Amino acid sequence: MTCAELEILLCDYVDGTLRGEERSALESHLAGCSSCAELAKDVAGVTAFMETVAASEPPAELLTRILHELPVARPAEKRSWWRNLFGGWIHGVLQPRYVMGMAMTVLSFSMIAKFAHIEPRQLRPSDLDPVKIWAGIDDRTHRMWDRAVKYYENLRVVIEVQSRLKEWTDQEQAQNVEANKQRGESGKQKAESSGRTTESSGQKPEAGTDQKKR
Amino acid sequence: MATVAIPAAKWNWVGPYRQGPMANSLDADAQLVERCLHGQDAAWEDLVKLHTRRVYSICYRFTNSDSEAQDLTQDVFMRVFKNLKSFRAGEGLFVVWLTRLTRNLLIDHYRRTRLERATESLDDQVKVLEETGSRADGMLAGREASEVLQAALQKLSPDLRETVILRDLEELEYREIAQVLNVPEGTVKSRLNRGRAELARVLRRHKVRI
Repeated sequence: MTCAELEILLCDYVDGTLRGEERSALESHLAGCSSCAELAKDVAGVTAFMETVAASEPPAELLTRILHELPVARPAEKRSWWRNLFGGWIHGVLQPRYVMGMAMTVLSFSMIAKFAHIEPRQLRPSDLDPVKIWAGIDDRTHRMWDRAVKYYENLRVVIEVQSRLKEWTDQEQAQNVEANKQRGESGKQKAESSGRTTESSGQKPEAGTDQKKR
Repeated sequence: MATVAIPAAKWNWVGPYRQGPMANSLDADAQLVERCLHGQDAAWEDLVKLHTRRVYSICYRFTNSDSEAQDLTQDVFMRVFKNLKSFRAGEGLFVVWLTRLTRNLLIDHYRRTRLERATESLDDQVKVLEETGSRADGMLAGREASEVLQAALQKLSPDLRETVILRDLEELEYREIAQVLNVPEGTVKSRLNRGRAELARVLRRHKVRI
């Protein structure tokens, strides 16, 4: 047996399936060829080592992931009656993002309805009249505005600020009035004093003349 | 005379896929495929449940990455879903067809990621092997042996690696491996010998007792 022939039979030998003459021939070759003996030893050793190796198990979520991705791999027994009734489209609609969008839409409409003073429990076809809805919104807006203004004006801070401003305005006005008054009096005094001066200057020549006369 | 310890007991059997409670699994596979082709959704679930472990294991052993193995396993089943009509029960076993499909995807993935791997560091693999080498006795088993083997497998060329995985870890027969790899049985055996010998050298270099 040559080394090349041994290489072909070695797998069966290591598997333990080689019998008869072939096995004897292989073993006698191994006895005389150190490199083939080394190869056989390595091969047998590593197969024995691989027997001790733990199997690599897939993570549990992988199966779920694959079944979710496969378009048809949904167990029939788990299909509920409403899914059978509505078919596959309901699955798409029940995606979290669509459910969230629908919830937000319902919330928005309910807020608008509350704002427009529409009571869902007493909803009638006449309540959906656009004129009535608009009138309701208008009325509600005015009420809310009035309420907001009233609330604002009743705030303590606002009252204090307003009273302070009023005080300052009153003080300023009073000061202005006082200043005007003083200005008016001083004007009068000036006028009076200037009148006296003219009078006194009119007397002086007379005195001069008197002195001249003297 | 050189004595070679032969683990004969292990090799007298024909693999877990073909014995015990799974004795009728070949028929079961054919029936499952038939049911899948007839549009029975529950059959698809059974088919995926039955073969996920095998496909994941091959992918994980070949790529050495859990996330890549998961993605590839998912891709394999998507491809099975699309191409199941091309499977002919009379022309071979479903498991061979599935393994060939997995192998083709792995080779595509290997070629696609060759550049990425060239720039990646092999530090993790080296670390695993060095840590093992630091153990005084070098005796390993179970999960530890699995990690060391995983690191050592990456040192093999893809041809040798896939042959060793299919025979020693997935326990396919030579004829089936030959069908999967589309090479003669002699080539399978030759690659297997070289792969095992190379693996033994890598393990021994890192003081793992084999």
